[in-house]
Amino acid sequence: MKTRIFSTCLAVAAATMLLFTAQTSRAAELKGQLEIFSWWAGDEGPALQALIDMYNKQHPGVTVVNATVTGGSGVNAKAVLKTRMLGGEPPDSFQVHAGQELIGTWVKADRMEDLTPLFKEQGWMKSFPDGLVKNIGTADGIWSVPVNIHRSNVLWYIPANLDKWGVKAPASWDDFFAIAPTLKEKGIVPLALAENWTANHLWESVALASLGADNWDALWSGKLAFDSPEGVKAWELFGKVLAFTNNDATSLSWQQATDMVVDGRAAFNIMGDWAAGYMSTTKKMAPGSGFGWAASPGTGGQFIFLADSFGLPKGVKNRDNALAWLVLLGSREGSDAFNPLKGSISARVDTDLTKYNDYAKSASADFGKDRIVGSLAHGVTANEGFMSDFAAVMEMYLKSRNAQATAKAAQQIAVKNGIGK
Amino acid sequence: MAQVELKKVIKRFGSTEVVHGVDLFIEDDEFIVLVGPSGCGKSTVLRMIAGLESISSGEICINGQSVNEVAPKDRNVAMVFQNYALYPHMSVYENIAFSLKMAKESKSQIKDKVQQAAEILELTPYLQRKPAELSGGQRQRVAMGRAIVRQPAVFLFDEPLSNLDAQLRTQMRMELKKLHLKMKTTTIYVTHDQIEAMTLADRIVILKDGYIQQIGSPIELFERPVNRFVARFIGNPPTNIIPASLHKHDGRTSVRMGTLSLPVVSPPAGADSQQVLVGIRPDIIKTGDGLHSLPDEWQVQAEVIVSEVLGGQSLLEFSAGGTTMIAELEGRVQARPGEMITLGFDLSRLLFFDPRTEEAIY
Amino acid sequence: MRNQDRIKAVLTLSPSIILIGLFVYGFIGNTFWISLTDWGGVAALAVNPVKNYAGFTNYIDLFTGFLGGGFRQDLVNAVYYSVMLLAGAIGVGMFLAVMLDSKPKGEAFFRTVFLYPMSLSFIVSGTIWRWMLSPQGGVNILPEYAGLQPFTFRWLSSTGSILEFNWQNLLEIAIYLVSAVLLIIGLRLFAKTPRQSLLWLIPGIALGLFAWLGGEMLPKALFMEETHGFNKATFGIILATIWQYSGYTMALYLAGFTGISQDLRDAAMLDGATTASYYRHIALPMVKPITISAVIILSHISLKMFDLIFAMTGPDNGQTGHPALNMYLTTFRANDFARGAAIAIILFLIAGTFIIPYLVSSYRQRRGKP
Repeated sequence: MKTRIFSTCLAVAAATMLLFTAQTSRAAELKGQLEIFSWWAGDEGPALQALIDMYNKQHPGVTVVNATVTGGSGVNAKAVLKTRMLGGEPPDSFQVHAGQELIGTWVKADRMEDLTPLFKEQGWMKSFPDGLVKNIGTADGIWSVPVNIHRSNVLWYIPANLDKWGVKAPASWDDFFAIAPTLKEKGIVPLALAENWTANHLWESVALASLGADNWDALWSGKLAFDSPEGVKAWELFGKVLAFTNNDATSLSWQQATDMVVDGRAAFNIMGDWAAGYMSTTKKMAPGSGFGWAASPGTGGQFIFLADSFGLPKGVKNRDNALAWLVLLGSREGSDAFNPLKGSISARVDTDLTKYNDYAKSASADFGKDRIVGSLAHGVTANEGFMSDFAAVMEMYLKSRNAQATAKAAQQIAVKNGIGK
Repeated sequence: MAQVELKKVIKRFGSTEVVHGVDLFIEDDEFIVLVGPSGCGKSTVLRMIAGLESISSGEICINGQSVNEVAPKDRNVAMVFQNYALYPHMSVYENIAFSLKMAKESKSQIKDKVQQAAEILELTPYLQRKPAELSGGQRQRVAMGRAIVRQPAVFLFDEPLSNLDAQLRTQMRMELKKLHLKMKTTTIYVTHDQIEAMTLADRIVILKDGYIQQIGSPIELFERPVNRFVARFIGNPPTNIIPASLHKHDGRTSVRMGTLSLPVVSPPAGADSQQVLVGIRPDIIKTGDGLHSLPDEWQVQAEVIVSEVLGGQSLLEFSAGGTTMIAELEGRVQARPGEMITLGFDLSRLLFFDPRTEEAIY
Repeated sequence: MRNQDRIKAVLTLSPSIILIGLFVYGFIGNTFWISLTDWGGVAALAVNPVKNYAGFTNYIDLFTGFLGGGFRQDLVNAVYYSVMLLAGAIGVGMFLAVMLDSKPKGEAFFRTVFLYPMSLSFIVSGTIWRWMLSPQGGVNILPEYAGLQPFTFRWLSSTGSILEFNWQNLLEIAIYLVSAVLLIIGLRLFAKTPRQSLLWLIPGIALGLFAWLGGEMLPKALFMEETHGFNKATFGIILATIWQYSGYTMALYLAGFTGISQDLRDAAMLDGATTASYYRHIALPMVKPITISAVIILSHISLKMFDLIFAMTGPDNGQTGHPALNMYLTTFRANDFARGAAIAIILFLIAGTFIIPYLVSSYRQRRGKP
């Protein structure tokens, strides 16, 4: 009997204390934990760590748990995230490609909190470009805070090598086809390609060049069919381009394909602008003089973007801490601490360009004036179901080289995965 | 039909020499038994003859031909192993046929030979069975069938009966003997059991610690052992070995064991008043009717320690003149411990050994 | 007393039975149920996702649907992969075991060396082999050290394939296979019991003729031509797996060989067997149970193979695809949980066809011998 009274007292005391802390937490220091889930390890680890350090300085009472799951463009991290979400144990905030990868998987499943109030509170509606906010939101709200912008349609080359071979960076695919045979004769691979996802990556640059930005957008809004004559043409062009790539592509990583360009075994490579980070940081080459870039052939004035962002799942344990994290990510300071290290550009319009290298400055300028379209290979324009099926369609094309049949298959998976709906 | 000759055969395992220069000549059709306690090297000798162990030095000849460098399969010998070494996944038929199959004989020939061997060994009903489905005795016969089907020049047996129970062992021993009489093949047989040696052998080779102790017919070994070891090893129960002294008095020699003094019929050469070991085989001790053929002075009074009746014979442990011995007596001698009994010794069969070298003195 | 024992037995066993029932068989059942629904697509990850019963649609789609081509190629890959892995790992392992069984100098050293790859994780060995088999490196440049031309075979990226067949004719091919099996059994029996062998031979011939003559009339498994074959890029994967597992089969065989008494070997030698015929007639038949377990273990490893392929050629490489990889991507990348479950069940059934006969026969053997 005695013990029961005692324990009741204890419980009441504890509850009072809890109540007290809950009331004060808003006003004063944040406490407890914050679990961030991402696939940023290795090269990208320092960039994430810079953000975590800033967060720790702002909120010393919070212990940050940095949960990373490594593996090519997040395939493993996403699987782990899904099992955690299905198991009712969401991390406080997780990395996700902005766009349909987030919307198709998590927003449609009603797992995310609408961040519109946060955007309004922080004045972000003006800080981020309109086109970007449209891409990370739906009619029902805004679903994540973008931390960076990458460009997908970039052609990389070594200026010294091009001079030596007497060619120039092609502005269109026709230019490319004009110089490619001569390069091939010299034993140089005209266009370096790597494992299969880079084929998807190449496809979006080629398809954008073939379709044009309007048709590209129409494709993803469901207004243009994949097996329309325009769609088939894109595949045909892609086939012609493939003829000038290396035949050992599937066993190379994207870095190895970039190496081919750096070593002079290949003339060009189309890769996202993380290649700039790789060449300047790992290979210690100077942007502009050491390595050169241009918009991929036929996509001048167009900017295929992809962005990493963090969202707020419903029912997290440390909501306040997570909100503070998102505030940091969206801030100018946070963005400018992160992006120079990551090799990407800031999503904000008011970025401090002095902190960035020459490539990033040029990309920033393009981002401000170019026509912005979403990337397929990196989750902006299509949901995960389509992306996964598209990988199979790509395999089918690589094997059969049949543009007609492939376009038909692409249309089937678009219907199956509700593209444009 | 083959002669086997071992010339100064030595076997070393690493730096340890286990067989020290064995010389042995085995005649055509002879049944030779290698016997000795475990670790005496008898199996090693057999395996060297088979070619399963290399020879460290010396020479082994079969039919006058050196086989030192000849592979086991080309020596024309067949071996029966202690645990039979039957191929467990093959039927009896396949087991017996295996060596013929390896020799690439025709199927019909194999069939004839296997059936013949099976008939000799009464295995015909079991030909389709697997070894696991046979009794110990049947397995033993399959192992023999496997050996005889090849009609080899030499049979080698490595303790073939030691996995059988006592009764079956006796029966199989007889069958082995009959088989040898029928097949007339040179046979080398290894055992640690002196009864098998005594009953089967034309000649016995006794080994100890890698040295041949004595070679001879069973009777020779029994009657004239060359040393204490052979005397103790051959015969069951073993020979009583008693420290004693010889005394010469009035041209007559007597032997004194404790307080017991007995006359010596044929004194060992050059044994004057000296310390010896006396060997008394349990079967030279008599009682009851057996006493009649013995002179009175060959008889003593003994105190029974314990007696065991084995049907037709009795074993008696007794003490006489302060010495304890074992006697193997004819008939049923039932005596209570502590009882006094008259025993006689057939002193013409006494054995004498040098106490230092343990060699026999005749 | 007896009753009490029984109660105790039930009490002791029930926790394991309940746990296994729930966490193994319960989940297999649940997976099967999911495979019969349409759980997938958008909103698949909602708190309470919508799952409608869809019958065997997922299975039918996988085997005959337009978009199931990748899965079908993966399945064909898995079959070739299993067969080659079995032949390779058992062959090499057996060879190594025979070599080491003769106790050469440094036997213990070599045993460790050969067994060592087994202790590496697939991710590690996959990465190593990815480098070794890269087109301009590792294995391919070996001949250069001898002053020869380098190999040009693209171990992991070759797009060619051999032994191709048309998936449309699946039924026809299946009938040919059954007929071939019947004929082989029949011919083997012919020597011993000619009359019984006819029971196998006649249906075999009939089926073969039927497929040959009437093959055109058989229903097609697919509405269009779709060829699948053994992709040459799988060679690299097979090589790596054999490298990793032949040490293991070697250890299995070596244990078996060591267990054979020296007397049997001696007896065989005296019976006139050469070393080769000793292994062929005595040692290998005696270690047949080991061969069977090696086949079971390896075939099931090859069916489950995931990490090695993932490390060597990545997730979207149709040339070296595997159903297990496909299952993972379908489930966790495409959010198509129902279809992923269907692939899981298909893999489960294939594994079952290997393991259930084995379990039945070993159970019978144990009951046969008390």
